[in-house]
Amino acid sequence: MRETWVVGAASNRFGKMRETGREAATRVAMQAIETSGLTPQDIGYTFVANCFGIAEHQAHVGPLINNGLGIPDTPSVTLESACSSSSAALHEAFVHVAGGFADAALVVGAEKLSHLDTLTSTSYFAIAADYAFETRNGATFPGLYATLASAYRQAFPTRDEMFGSVAIKNHANAARNPHAHFQKEISMDTYLGSPMIATPLRLYDCCPFSDGAAAIVVAAKEFVKKPVGEPLVVRASARSGSVTDMQDRPDLLGLPATRTAAAKAFRQAKMEPKDIDFLEVHDCFTIAEVLALEDLGFFPKGTGAKESAEGVTARDGKLPVNPSGGLKAKGHPVSATGASQVVEIFEQMNGLAPGREVPKTGTALAHNVGATGGSCSVHIFSRR
Amino acid sequence: MSASDESLPKAPHAIEDFLRAYTEEGRLRGFRCPNCGLVTATWGLACARCGHRGLEETELSPRGRVSAFTILHVPGDEFLNDAPYAYVVVDLDGGGRITGWMPEVRAPSEIKIGERVRFQPGYKPGVQFVRDADAPRSG
Repeated sequence: MRETWVVGAASNRFGKMRETGREAATRVAMQAIETSGLTPQDIGYTFVANCFGIAEHQAHVGPLINNGLGIPDTPSVTLESACSSSSAALHEAFVHVAGGFADAALVVGAEKLSHLDTLTSTSYFAIAADYAFETRNGATFPGLYATLASAYRQAFPTRDEMFGSVAIKNHANAARNPHAHFQKEISMDTYLGSPMIATPLRLYDCCPFSDGAAAIVVAAKEFVKKPVGEPLVVRASARSGSVTDMQDRPDLLGLPATRTAAAKAFRQAKMEPKDIDFLEVHDCFTIAEVLALEDLGFFPKGTGAKESAEGVTARDGKLPVNPSGGLKAKGHPVSATGASQVVEIFEQMNGLAPGREVPKTGTALAHNVGATGGSCSVHIFSRR
Repeated sequence: MSASDESLPKAPHAIEDFLRAYTEEGRLRGFRCPNCGLVTATWGLACARCGHRGLEETELSPRGRVSAFTILHVPGDEFLNDAPYAYVVVDLDGGGRITGWMPEVRAPSEIKIGERVRFQPGYKPGVQFVRDADAPRSG
């Protein structure tokens, strides 16, 4: 297996895009390639994530992106793994480069749904749940995560404010991130006063619907003679799956796919949670960040919400989590999310995150979940 | 159906049969794994827990206890006029877990974890529950 690096990364500002997903994808891809010091012609394969391209009447967007980059002969494929689509694309890129099937590969994720109304967007999102056995029984994504929150709060003594602390922390980070959808801090009063979406989840427990695009370039170490920035060494690229439906899970106190993907990743990297300096985790809802930190092995089960309330996961805390603002406040353009987590890690490790720097940037972990945990990716990166 | 389709592996029943049971037959059909004992209300060819092939047809109890719930205020398009309502995870008596919705339950104060509920066919294709105390007496 060849040592594989992330050599370039770029993101647009999440929120509402005027342009099409295809234009945004091509523009961030070109910038990611430029920051890598490679040329488009060096790209051996383009891996695209664009779950809801159909909302723009567009499938098969990979060749269009490659055309726009001036490399129409380069192969491409679009991967779908719900909210973990672009980390799945990164995994495939890693497999190609590490395995010697490509010297460099482009990963690009884009999503545009803001031209639809909230109801239509909610229904698009719900497509990734089990239609026959969840959606048709009344589930939505906030509803499914709300049942997890319900089970968690029944099992462990937690207060609303503990979950509020996750939202407040992520908003504070996003306020310092020029890529973020929400660039304003929120108070506990704002959090507590926000309307219920699906009890116990309030509006400020939920990530927004965002448009956005993010891209990264990975390459084999020996192919990159002189990287422009500080490359990230991919120390682990692991994915896992688990029982999809809530109704077949042995317990509702975590996401089994996070546990198994983390175990694989730490084994690959020959590392333990204590070796990680900071994390980007999948916080589509505040409960999801709490579950992620427990399932990844950073906090014992039942203590994640408390640790957050005590400031451990703040940007200047002992374990900074989601310095980008996370899905919660940076935004969640489904297919761009996984790639954008790596953009944040790239910017932190390259000194390109002014105002939101974390204290230590030697190692980082990215955790990205598909739907309610039917899929999960865990990547671990370090400096050279 | 062609001969090639006939030779493909089959589940004890189709997804369509689950849905027909909910609405037209008023019962909860499911699969049981003879190897590990998992009782499931989800379609599949092999056990989602142990991988065993040869799931068997079973009928699930219509009664059980709520193990997790939410009151949904922002529904999807198929429940547009029904919010707020409860979405519940129910541990059924005799095994098996299923999710469903409860049109009559509109606030967290109207339900609790551990609440006894009963399956009741409704006017929508999915699984609908009522609080056991509210269910009409029968069977």
